[in-house]
Amino acid sequence: MTGLEEAVEKLKSGIGAENVLEVKHQPPRNVFVLIKPEKLKEAITYVMKELGYQYIITISGVDLIKENQFEVIYHLSDYSNTISLKIRIPRDEPKVPTITDIIPGATLYEREVHDMFGIVAEGHPNLAKLLLSDGWPEDLHPLRKDVTIQQIRERLEEERRKGVRGI
Amino acid sequence: MGLGLVKWSRIKSPWILHFNSGACNACDIEVLAVLTPRFDVERFGMLLKGSPRHADIIVITGSVTRQIRDRLVRIYEQTPEPKFVLAVGNCAGTGGVFQQCYNVYEGVDKVIPVDVYVPGCPPRPEAIIHGVVKLLQKLQEAS
Amino acid sequence: MSGESEKAVFEVPVGPQHPALKEPILLLFKIEGDIIDDVMARPAYTHRGIEKATEARNYIQNIYLCERVCGICSGIHTLVYTQGVERLAGVEPPPRAKYIRVIFLELERIHSHALWLGVAAHELGFDTLFYYVWRDRELVMDLLELVTGNRVNYAMSTVGGARRDISDEAAHQIKKGMEIFRRRLDVYTGVVEKDPTVRKRVVDVGKLSPHKAVELCAVGPTLRATGVKRDVRADDPYQAYDEIPFNVATYPTGDVLAQIMVRVMEMYEAANIIDYALDHMPKGPIRTKVPWNIAPNEVISRGEAPRGELFYYFKSNGTEKPERVKIRTPTLANLPAVCEMLKGYHIAEIPIVFASIDPCLSCTGRFAFIDERHDRSWVWTGEQLRAYRRRYYKWQNR
Repeated sequence: MTGLEEAVEKLKSGIGAENVLEVKHQPPRNVFVLIKPEKLKEAITYVMKELGYQYIITISGVDLIKENQFEVIYHLSDYSNTISLKIRIPRDEPKVPTITDIIPGATLYEREVHDMFGIVAEGHPNLAKLLLSDGWPEDLHPLRKDVTIQQIRERLEEERRKGVRGI
Repeated sequence: MGLGLVKWSRIKSPWILHFNSGACNACDIEVLAVLTPRFDVERFGMLLKGSPRHADIIVITGSVTRQIRDRLVRIYEQTPEPKFVLAVGNCAGTGGVFQQCYNVYEGVDKVIPVDVYVPGCPPRPEAIIHGVVKLLQKLQEAS
Repeated sequence: MSGESEKAVFEVPVGPQHPALKEPILLLFKIEGDIIDDVMARPAYTHRGIEKATEARNYIQNIYLCERVCGICSGIHTLVYTQGVERLAGVEPPPRAKYIRVIFLELERIHSHALWLGVAAHELGFDTLFYYVWRDRELVMDLLELVTGNRVNYAMSTVGGARRDISDEAAHQIKKGMEIFRRRLDVYTGVVEKDPTVRKRVVDVGKLSPHKAVELCAVGPTLRATGVKRDVRADDPYQAYDEIPFNVATYPTGDVLAQIMVRVMEMYEAANIIDYALDHMPKGPIRTKVPWNIAPNEVISRGEAPRGELFYYFKSNGTEKPERVKIRTPTLANLPAVCEMLKGYHIAEIPIVFASIDPCLSCTGRFAFIDERHDRSWVWTGEQLRAYRRRYYKWQNR
């Protein structure tokens, strides 16, 4: 059993095996673990504190439009092995708890996911725009699958015609 | 006579401002390489300036992102007349590889007038120098 | 400008792209007198929407798009991208291709670090060193052109292997070039370590503790300059790095001097890696076939860019276009760290400390200052800030 398999077993016993929905290994040093969303903070705390991981690489969002869900992936690493914790949240109510209290380095990534998908990290100190321009409409999230590039461009042109600046 | 002197000095020593309108840095490092010993554009009296108010030529790289558009226009307005614009790279010309990205304007000429285009991704330093010299010719003919 | 600056005060962003040298970024400093109290940055100026665009293009077209996320580290971007697509498809590139990739990646690292060293010297007000370094950097650019056919965007790595082979003649040239470059590096090491004017500007400036660096998830040379020995090439070896012996350069002090020294040492290491790789390159093909459509799968791909860890996440859906490509560039990871490094230092030290993580410090990027005691704010360009720095040090050394 490799170190990573052992880590996943520990995680299962730490947060309860019934909360781990799916484990997929990507040899040699990566694993994707799908967990229940309500166990997210517990799982991240466990990985950081008990397994000794120190570092969050980033947070990825994926729009699973067919299932009407967002997938949020937290890529945690001990610099060598990477555990990617996945949760699925409903598309209509895109909310996750913030993890900045556990990992201060995650601030920017939560803001990026908020920009791109409109997924709100509840409890985040400042969810201001990170990447999008100043005049970007609040309800437009470019990486969602229900808008095409052409639609985004038309919408922005329309906003500009209305007199909004900074786009 | 005074006017002739100004014109003469502008052609002999144009000052340039480098502005990045959302480029990937490839053109920027080539613009910078033009100023360093191997290519040494200061032979033509050109000097890189930090402020648009001192510049004669604005060298623009990048495909003009939406956030930077208004700043680009402001920089252009701050530059004293007569001013010239050199668009370096495919992105500054047409949007290049970033055509059909949602956050770009696909070319500097969508926002401000351009005098000389230098194509390439990125153009070689020699090409940039060639573009600048072309611009100087244009300057001479115009005056 | 000041009105907009106030609006931007609470925004601290970085993008799927890499804002680096001369690129536009808005930094907001809260200052008390001359001391920096808080820093905020807004790099949205270079957001182009690459991640969305990847979903509309096929895997081959995306190589060229991802290459242009950043022009300075274009090699590592294509590598991490193609490595990820190979993993998605379950294809292994031929051994020779792995070595070729390592060689051009290390050449790119030298070119990038040399570029940075020159810029850092410029920010210090030491333009002589800037011009010397950039002259010698052209040597590496020539080698890159010899190997890849272009100076900056190489398009060398492709899905399934490398696009060009390295001939014996070219290998000989590279070795000769590395020999010359090492001698030049000795000169720069001497200058940085011994020159009193440089030391005065860099020792104990922009200090970052190892604990804080790890907590803020810093990566690459910024992290290694605090003495933490972390490098994706060693920790999670990719391509041929597990077969090549090399040292991970660290420096314990955590100030700007450490940042410079780590990068200088890495240039030596890179030259050694190139020599070793050229000597031990296996013979054989350089490219394999990869299917056009890729079955549903998801993978991550990591690589050590000159500025730190570069990360891609891929999801495929069975077609020739990816479902999702997520890019995390090293400057985004280092931004919280540099904001921490700047706190408590003087305005005059902003250029070099900010440049020390190797990001963009644009001439046109503006620096907005908010003086909390006098309740006034003003905006400077990079050039004005450098002029202020010269006045400040003149005044200090009266």
